[in-house]
Amino acid sequence: MDDADSRSTLTDEDKRREKVFDDVIKLISESMEISPTEITSDLNLNTDLPFDSLQLYEMVITLEEAYDIRISDEDLDNVRSIDDIVDLIVRLT
Amino acid sequence: MDSQEQIMSDSLVRIFENVVLTEEKSLQAGYFSDLSIAEMHTLTAIGPYQSRTMTKTAEDLGITTGTLTVAIDRLVKKGYVIRQRDTKDKRVVRISLTRNGKLACRMNSKFHRVLAKRILEGYSEEDREHLLKLVGEIDTYVEQQLRKYDNTSNIRKTATEVARTSKKETPSNG
Repeated sequence: MDDADSRSTLTDEDKRREKVFDDVIKLISESMEISPTEITSDLNLNTDLPFDSLQLYEMVITLEEAYDIRISDEDLDNVRSIDDIVDLIVRLT
Repeated sequence: MDSQEQIMSDSLVRIFENVVLTEEKSLQAGYFSDLSIAEMHTLTAIGPYQSRTMTKTAEDLGITTGTLTVAIDRLVKKGYVIRQRDTKDKRVVRISLTRNGKLACRMNSKFHRVLAKRILEGYSEEDREHLLKLVGEIDTYVEQQLRKYDNTSNIRKTATEVARTSKKETPSNG
């Protein structure tokens, strides 16, 4: 199956997830001043990105405002990677 | 050797004082060193989401609206709080947190969560459950003592009290 075929089989849910993923990459690259190409879905927030807890909450507040959602500390306990953030936002929106 | 009552009494007072003191020191050492503990608690009472009225916030903090007004004046100047007139009722003043206020509020809640996590992780699951049950009973008892001195609704509601009330309101029979 080539790329065009695989893209055409994307469900609405997949497309929504892709859109959230792109938004998250954009927000992180802007706030952390990192090139978007350096941010991949499996990046670990604690070890691969220079986040301290203040920056993590900065990002959380930005995402909460952008998506009009509430991200609890319990939710954040389970967030390790960019993928986890994207999954969480998809679940909360 | 100290009596059990003496040990309990000393521990209760010391835990309360040390939690507040640790919170204060961590504030001074951190990003929000321009905030006092009382100011941080005011931000927490407002909360990081919807705007709230001055009256309701003062009630939750157990202070008068006059006292809260003075505190809010300072927090507005420091850039942590926004004060606005209600769009529908101009007599009502609503307060909400700025982005910096939201950050301070969330960092403070993290402080408390980490403290609780560190205390609990030293125990087995069975001990944790037992400890939480006992702490819950102490919390309820002290809350009851407070009520004796203040029978109005102007009592600061703790998170556990809110949770307990909402459980009671859920119909259980059927």
